[in-house]
Amino acid sequence: MDAELLTQITDARDRALAATAARNRIERLVDPGSFVEYGVLAGESSDPDDDAPADALVAGVGRVHGHPVTVASYDTTVRHGTQTDRNMRKLVRLLYLASRHRWPFVVFVDGDGARPGHPWVVPPIVVYNRGRFDVYEGLAELSGWAPTIAVISGRTLDGNAGLALLCDFVVATAGSTVGSRGSDGTIYTRPVEALAADGSVDLIVDDEAHAIDTVADYLAYWGDGFGTDEPSPTHGLIADIIPVDRRHPYDVRRVIEALADAGTVLELGERWAPSMVTALATLGGRPIGMMANQPLSPVAGAIDSPAADKAARFVELCDAYELPIVSLVDNPGYMVGPDAERGGIARHHARPLAALHHRTVPLCSVQLRKAYGLGPFAMSGWGASRLMPELRLAWPSVESGGMSLEGAAFLVKRKEIRAAGSPEEARAIRDSYAKEMRDPASGVSAGRTFSFDDVILPGETRERIIALLEAIPRVFPAAKKHPIDPR
Amino acid sequence: MDPRLIEELAAAKAAQLDDARPGVVATVHQAGRLTARERVGELLDPGTEVEYGSIAALDRTTGAWVAEAGGVDYIGTVDGQTVITSSTDFTDRGGGYGAGRLERLFALAQEHRWPLVLFVDGGGSRARHPRVGLGHLELNGPFGRYQLFDGVAELSGWVPTVAVVSGPSFAGHASLAGFSDFVIATGGSSIGMGGPPMVEAALGLALSASELAGVEMHEMTGGIDLLVDDEHQAIAAARRYLSYWRDEPSGPAGPGAEAIAELVTDRAGADGPYDMVPVLEALVDQGSLFGLRPQFARSVITAFARIDGRSVGILASQPGVDDGAIDEQAATKAARFVELCDAYELPIVAVIDTPGCITRFTGDDGTPQIQPGINRWHTRAVMAHHHRTVPLFAVQVGRGGGLGPAVLGGMTGGRSTPVLWAAWPSTDIGTGDGFAAVRNQHAYDDVIAPADTRQRISRLLARLPRQLDRAAKKHPIDTW
Repeated sequence: MDAELLTQITDARDRALAATAARNRIERLVDPGSFVEYGVLAGESSDPDDDAPADALVAGVGRVHGHPVTVASYDTTVRHGTQTDRNMRKLVRLLYLASRHRWPFVVFVDGDGARPGHPWVVPPIVVYNRGRFDVYEGLAELSGWAPTIAVISGRTLDGNAGLALLCDFVVATAGSTVGSRGSDGTIYTRPVEALAADGSVDLIVDDEAHAIDTVADYLAYWGDGFGTDEPSPTHGLIADIIPVDRRHPYDVRRVIEALADAGTVLELGERWAPSMVTALATLGGRPIGMMANQPLSPVAGAIDSPAADKAARFVELCDAYELPIVSLVDNPGYMVGPDAERGGIARHHARPLAALHHRTVPLCSVQLRKAYGLGPFAMSGWGASRLMPELRLAWPSVESGGMSLEGAAFLVKRKEIRAAGSPEEARAIRDSYAKEMRDPASGVSAGRTFSFDDVILPGETRERIIALLEAIPRVFPAAKKHPIDPR
Repeated sequence: MDPRLIEELAAAKAAQLDDARPGVVATVHQAGRLTARERVGELLDPGTEVEYGSIAALDRTTGAWVAEAGGVDYIGTVDGQTVITSSTDFTDRGGGYGAGRLERLFALAQEHRWPLVLFVDGGGSRARHPRVGLGHLELNGPFGRYQLFDGVAELSGWVPTVAVVSGPSFAGHASLAGFSDFVIATGGSSIGMGGPPMVEAALGLALSASELAGVEMHEMTGGIDLLVDDEHQAIAAARRYLSYWRDEPSGPAGPGAEAIAELVTDRAGADGPYDMVPVLEALVDQGSLFGLRPQFARSVITAFARIDGRSVGILASQPGVDDGAIDEQAATKAARFVELCDAYELPIVAVIDTPGCITRFTGDDGTPQIQPGINRWHTRAVMAHHHRTVPLFAVQVGRGGGLGPAVLGGMTGGRSTPVLWAAWPSTDIGTGDGFAAVRNQHAYDDVIAPADTRQRISRLLARLPRQLDRAAKKHPIDTW
């Protein structure tokens, strides 16, 4: 072949390799030597001397933990990581492959949105997708079919931000920003920490290296886990996490940590809806999702609208990824009061119930302590005919009831409590009646009345769930069940 | 048979009727409300009612029949369409759920695809409801296919589920309403997860039901779909909502159809922002525009309507509010509406004039802030559009900035591509903004004269028969 042709290619490729910021990220994520790049020569123009390496987007197929993934990264050193018709078409190629082969899609999204002044071809009836989907459609199609993962590391505007906000899982580095260019050209941004507090970003990490490690970890739950089924070093002390005083709070993350395999817990959404903790983990080596009420939260584990939203989305995520759900229950019910009502709890409360109702993955609930009112329904699917939890366990500290014992006592003995001579006397009246009101679905009698499948010692929980999950293998259905609602 | 048995039954049934309790009926009427039987009687077509559980229920504690189970349950028709309807009776110890019978009716509704209309006011589980004390794993088991809430969840997206709330509705009653596709409330009612006594016990706040969870508040915050004056209006609204489940002949084009172009004025001109409602009225059959959640997130309009008799959903910008910008609540309002229309096989007409999306948050100084931008509430709508299968007609009548057109009309490069993406000459394509690369804007099927829009949509609708005969539900309708 004409040597000059070969030289042109190698020269052009050398120039494209200058998009090092993007390449370094991808190299760090994927298994060594596994990356096959798409469109390495695609530049901003067709000029042989084009000076926009890879048109600001490096894209291809690689492997992580041996499993195929599609991965792309904008490169902000090239045209500020802006989007063009050409680099969007690279993403479309990946989304096509991901959709066809059920491969995860990972994208590093930082960049400034559409490239200013880029000559758009805009005759009528031209659609810029050259594949089956355009990019946003592709992400929507992939949602619930294979993981879609975005890394926000740096400033991310407009169309770049939209990519992230359509992904199932968004990890961001501290100090990054997300925003939009106003019609007058002013750039408006918000810190990713603010988006994380609103549920639009799932996790904040210190730096890009941590973000990449987190993506690799996240992909392990989609895959085969971490190759370990070692119990947590804290497992032996699990019963001690529940305080002796039944009204004393504790951190439910400690229960999650103690139940899961050692070092396998990845919490999602830790910065929003603090009364609901959601985490991925493995149990006996099997990837699972865990959702838990957080007694340590300001609302003592009550389920408010953000908590309901968070639980609903998590159930959809687990259902789509075929991750069994372990639900740890300790809540006083749904949040009540004027602020909760203004926040729409009467509508939001139904979201986790509906998500649980429509799931097909197995669900094990463990009632650690209390659940009043509709609280147990929200966490375990209620005792419905065909959608019961596969296993419904309780610890001996279990308490049930239409509302808290103290609250019920107040309602019934209101007059006497108000007429009491001292606060101590009032409390005594309340506590005495509360004791009388104790629901039979509490403590050991919860097992006697078969209100639960079993009341067990905390230390037995792990083995029970593992044994049941072994009976229910992970099966990926041939078609997508449903998308994962972004919010 | 022993005639005494027949007499005993007749007496038991007679005791359930309003005639048997004139004092209670008078009290209800003095409060400007209807009894449970009057509500159902006004909703159902005369002579079609079949009551279920007329002398239910058994008091499990004593084994004796009790006078009233806290409500009435019926199958009947509304304008010829079979529906399941149930009303709680708040005069009977606060109104039961009709539990046991509702579950039965839910199964029938699911089996036969019959819409559901629930009148739900009451205070949740009775203090001494036989279920209290059983730890919420129902020992009696379901009667029929469902327990209570899973029945409404299952019906969601399969049949229209309508809740009418007249009076205080708390806890389990509010939950039934919250699960429903369409919640109608009468003025002065309240809907909340915990009633005033529980809030006093839990939070130490002594509030009236209205102060705590009044429907006037919910009207603004999206908790209900429609606020009306009284139960007669509520029943009429339920009837009207159900009518869009059918296609039926309806009036001619609305007023202003010929002069529709004049309704869209230059925003920068002396008239300021125009009101989209008259534009929509001019586009659809006369008197057919039925707004849903009209006071919530008003920069986006959601409504049912008819075009030459075909039921459609209308999803439109309202340039008169926030300049038509789409905030988080407007985006979620759009997303839920797309799911609703998709489930009911209602084609969607999107009428677009928006500068794009905005985000609201509390600034560092504690004051409310607004700035251009998106979050997951906005992408929810894009996701909903991608997964719908009903046809969509997008008409851009003005601006289409940022992700705005995708929130209202979906993307244009895949499954959610509209059947028609038309532009009026007033369309302002602007310069390529930050979303230009992904939104494929400016890809119009045609630029059309405003006065031709209705006919264009109507002719395409005639080519797209409604697909209500599918065998399984597509998806539930998100309650938010």
